[in-house]
Amino acid sequence: MSNIDPMTLSTIWYAFQSLCREMRSVMTRTSQSYLISTLRDLSVGVWLADGSTVAVPEGLPSQFLGTSFAISDIREMYKDNLHPGDVILTNDPFHGGHNSHLPDWGYIRPVFYEGELLFFTLVRGHMMDTGGSFPGGYFANAYDIIAEGLNIPPLKVIKRGVVEVKIDTDAMIATSKFAENRIVDLLRRYGKDTVLASIHQMLDRTERAVRAEIAALPDGTYSGESSSDDDGTVLDEVVHVRVDVTIKGDEITLDFSRSDPQRPGFINCVYASTYARAAAAVIVYMDPALADFHNEGSLRPINVIAPLGNVTNCKYPATVGACPISIGGQILESVVEAMSKARPDRSIASWGKHRGDYTFAVDPRTGERYVRTTFDYDGSAGAVWGHDGMTGPTTITTLGSVQRGSIEEAEIRFPWRMVKFETRPNFNGHGRWRGGGGIDWRAVNEGSDGRMSSGSSDGDVVQGKGAQGGQRVPRARTFVLRGDQKIRVKPHRMTEIKNGDVVVKLSPGGGGVGDPWQRPVEKVVTDVLNEKITPDVARMVYGVVVDPVSLKVDEAATAKLRSSPPSQRYEAVINEETLDIEMKPSDEQLEKAQ
Amino acid sequence: MKQLTIDVGGTFTDCLVLEESGQLQRFKASTTPDDPTLGFFAAVGKAAKHYGQTLEQFLADVEQIVHGTTLGTNILITERGAKVGMITTKGFRDIVEMRRGIRNLHGSMFDMFIEPYQPLVPRRLVRGVEERTLYTGKMLTPLNESELREQARRLLDEGCNAIAICFLHSYANGDNERKAKQIVQQMSPDTYVTASHEILPVFREFERFSTAVISAYIGPAITRYARKLQSGLKERGCKGRLLMMLANGLVQVVDQCVDRAVYLLNSGPAAAPYGASYLGGLHGKNNLLSVDMGGTSFDVCVVKEGEIPSTSDSWVGEHRVAIKMVDVPTVGAGGGSLAWIDSLGLLRVGPQSAGADPGPAAYGKGEEASVTDADLVLGYIPADYFLGGDVKLDVERSHQAVARVGSKLHMNASQTALVMNTTINTVMANLITEVCTKKGHDVRDFTLVAGGGAGGIHAAAIAKQLSIPTVIVPRVAALMSAFGMFAMNLGLEYARSCARRQDKLDFAEISGLYEDMRRQARDDFASIGIAESQLAYKPSVEMRYVGQFHEVEIDMPAEDLNADNLKALLQNFHTQYEKLFTYNMPWRSAEFLTYRLKVTSASRPIQTAVLSGAGTNVETARRGSRMCVFDGDAKPIETPAYDWDRMAPGHKLTGPALIDDKTTTVLVVPGFRCEVDAYHNLLLRAQ
Repeated sequence: MSNIDPMTLSTIWYAFQSLCREMRSVMTRTSQSYLISTLRDLSVGVWLADGSTVAVPEGLPSQFLGTSFAISDIREMYKDNLHPGDVILTNDPFHGGHNSHLPDWGYIRPVFYEGELLFFTLVRGHMMDTGGSFPGGYFANAYDIIAEGLNIPPLKVIKRGVVEVKIDTDAMIATSKFAENRIVDLLRRYGKDTVLASIHQMLDRTERAVRAEIAALPDGTYSGESSSDDDGTVLDEVVHVRVDVTIKGDEITLDFSRSDPQRPGFINCVYASTYARAAAAVIVYMDPALADFHNEGSLRPINVIAPLGNVTNCKYPATVGACPISIGGQILESVVEAMSKARPDRSIASWGKHRGDYTFAVDPRTGERYVRTTFDYDGSAGAVWGHDGMTGPTTITTLGSVQRGSIEEAEIRFPWRMVKFETRPNFNGHGRWRGGGGIDWRAVNEGSDGRMSSGSSDGDVVQGKGAQGGQRVPRARTFVLRGDQKIRVKPHRMTEIKNGDVVVKLSPGGGGVGDPWQRPVEKVVTDVLNEKITPDVARMVYGVVVDPVSLKVDEAATAKLRSSPPSQRYEAVINEETLDIEMKPSDEQLEKAQ
Repeated sequence: MKQLTIDVGGTFTDCLVLEESGQLQRFKASTTPDDPTLGFFAAVGKAAKHYGQTLEQFLADVEQIVHGTTLGTNILITERGAKVGMITTKGFRDIVEMRRGIRNLHGSMFDMFIEPYQPLVPRRLVRGVEERTLYTGKMLTPLNESELREQARRLLDEGCNAIAICFLHSYANGDNERKAKQIVQQMSPDTYVTASHEILPVFREFERFSTAVISAYIGPAITRYARKLQSGLKERGCKGRLLMMLANGLVQVVDQCVDRAVYLLNSGPAAAPYGASYLGGLHGKNNLLSVDMGGTSFDVCVVKEGEIPSTSDSWVGEHRVAIKMVDVPTVGAGGGSLAWIDSLGLLRVGPQSAGADPGPAAYGKGEEASVTDADLVLGYIPADYFLGGDVKLDVERSHQAVARVGSKLHMNASQTALVMNTTINTVMANLITEVCTKKGHDVRDFTLVAGGGAGGIHAAAIAKQLSIPTVIVPRVAALMSAFGMFAMNLGLEYARSCARRQDKLDFAEISGLYEDMRRQARDDFASIGIAESQLAYKPSVEMRYVGQFHEVEIDMPAEDLNADNLKALLQNFHTQYEKLFTYNMPWRSAEFLTYRLKVTSASRPIQTAVLSGAGTNVETARRGSRMCVFDGDAKPIETPAYDWDRMAPGHKLTGPALIDDKTTTVLVVPGFRCEVDAYHNLLLRAQ
């Protein structure tokens, strides 16, 4: 059926898109996981029976863009033994799950119509805990993946509608049932042939559009590199991800072979997880008008090479707990760096890193144990060509699809009182377009003594890059203040937490795009007025002379200063004694803007 | 005496007059954006003229005016509000700018090229002061008054004419906010000052702060407008009561709503579902889809079993508004929606609109093809009788505009117009499906009530696409919101947050919260001369399973809970929960979070007069015919056109047919038939 009228085509297309949005809304409204319901750490989507991606409008790239691999394994494992009403649970990165790490539980449901398997749906969300030695699954120093938590290879938890394994995840199963009903309704209304033909036509149209976008890029090989502070087992040794992006005609190949070998620590990525992030990082360079469409057609022109035994394609039983943040984030950043060279007018700078922790202790108000994590203490987004980075805690590994929590809600729920939560002036990468503001997050422990695992953080040592002459992301710091003591907490460590401790996280905003010397004067002045930068930074970094008292710009002095490039570049550095943000001479070699 | 409703929309100001006989009269004037009171009095003037009276004579005979306005929404969308300053808890300066995520919920995750959110209050006008209240309501740090004065002085010196006071946990104890508000008001009596707990005394700071800032942003303009209207009416001898239509589906006197300006957002669209509900009731239908298709937007409200739904999840543009509003989701689909070709080579229509200026190509100014142009090319709209002949349409210009779009797809003008028509219908049908199924309902169980100037042309086609059996096109379709305002109750809503698990509930504490809300309600209503005996109370509670993060609102069996009615309440919660989400967890404990009390005073019941039956053949109402193109047949068909004014109850037609009126046109598509009901509305049914 090649003659689908345009109306039927778009009707069916939007039905799948809105189905996914509704699935996400059912999940967030019913889930008991803080990560899923408040922070939206979840992904849903629809695939064809052969694993082709149909609809993936909202989620975390690593949670769902590699689902084709899981579907292919499940079909191999179960062969003809898949039936209407079956639901398969898996969280096993190495055996059929193809997810990043164990806390991301996925429910995959085959969808049948008149006895024929036509689709799969996925509902995957981040569980607060998944067994293992430490809550949250970010266990540095685990010997192997078995020590990281419960490993669930694809397992039928519901067989033909009958619950076989009872787990308290009804919200996820209800969501997947909801999706099945809606897809079957659609098939009933339009007929199988029309629905499938429409989908194939959309995949082909999308593929043509994405190929045309790639073909418009200059052929060549572009490189990117990004690194993690360490792997959590071998401490203070930087781990590198390197990518060579080759554009040839309308195809794009991302080769991670020059990345470091697999590591003993928990930052390794399985192939599907690398693939998902690498593909997402390419997709964001396509025409933003295509943003609502991406599907299998967008993935077809993208090839990802990662040799087995590499940190981007690790071998069983490697530990993987921290890979969504460490190495996962770097995969995105390295591809973004390379793509920004190929497409300067869509340059994207690195974002602030995730500065997560899992804190667990007892809440004296209830006597119950709790695990607390959030995205609130992350830095802000990096700049893109044409726009400053957005202000608000976020991390590039999610493409900004997660949300922060509420202070009031968190204080009702956890025995921690917020002391401070606001941006700090100057604390971001600067540029013609600058990163969003860096964040100062402080909370006091009013509960029992406990532990804090900083497994889900990075960015104390290695800095994310700017683009086109924009500055890199400043370094981040976390401290525990205990009386007069100031204890530094590095990423990937375990720290004792006592009642009365104040945790301080200073998380930088993202990197800049373009030379700060080229930022329009009025934008610099607005930033000064809004106390996003100080007058000395306006002068030192942006070449704009603003009177520190009247806050008026001295146009003659500015023109003179800007008539030649700056003799010295400066970047924001945290003073570990005072916790002030200071400007220090920078040794960064800024890229020349194209 | 007469009752009036006046709805000031983006393009037109609609005025409905309800005579004592129950007869309705319809009047329309152009909206005057610079001073909307001009359009208001122009519309009233038209009504006065109809009765052969002067404005003063006419207004002397008016006992009540219910008024809806897009003023608040327009100020917000066009960003022409007050210079707002915000005073907040020290250390939490960027709560509003950070929102909950870097995009609001509508953006695609794959789009990175977005301008950062610009809050209504720039950072330099957000000042922190020392103070802190805990979630329990205990005050940890009292307000530092000298610091407050210093920061307030700074904001006033900067020229702020509105100040929002937004402190953490003020919903649990508003003392610090109250004191700060008092001090600022003493410092500058003319400044519009608002405290977050007065607007929305509910937990979650971003949502509360954002709502309070919006209220302060539109507050001064709303106050000026409402006062001007009030005095204008008084000067013209009106002794009747002026009531403002609120976002939550209630109406309120001016004095009560100027301090809570945010409630005037969406003030018009919130009324339409009440009109739909009333009309549906005349036909014994209580499952209704109230839709309103105007020039730029298409609004949908799902009325299930007569219940008008509300939501606190709204966004206006990029700004979060967390008050409870009538749940009227909207998409950019209307007569002005423009056609374009996307990067996949598909024809799309909307959400960009030609607006009132330049308007559709047919108006003679614009070049781009809009839905109105497509409808004109297809023959649906009368070129000579658009808005009763007030607007002359240029068919040739529409034809060229549509043909230009089509040439890129190798289609001729009428093919293109047909695709545009079906595309916009699909956009609207999808919104209906999404809204309906999100609530777990099947659209086929509903009756479509089609409002808006463009609703009549598209309603039957949408119904056909969705297999909706019946469409009601009200006689007042083009003035649907104004009509809905006749069905409003006078009322206010109160809320108190108090988080407790079901086994830790303190019945006395809950009764105390309700006593407090009742006391406030008594005072509020007494101040406008309504006695307690005339009030009706509806208590409800927002609750969830322990461990969850989103609440479901459940009716309270009484304001005083005890062991017995608590059991019934919990049972109801489990049942409602399953209805909403397909499963429930009765073994799990429930958590009670926010108690609400809705207090209303019933309005006088409305009667629309029953017309006498048809004595004549429907052909007596025939005004001619037009050549129309319909889906599935490229050849134009001669389609009879009738004059709605001359049609009478009992008249029947079979599609294709057109029914023209000075405010709208109704298209009976092939496969549908049409009947005039006793109230002069049109019923369209699939054959």
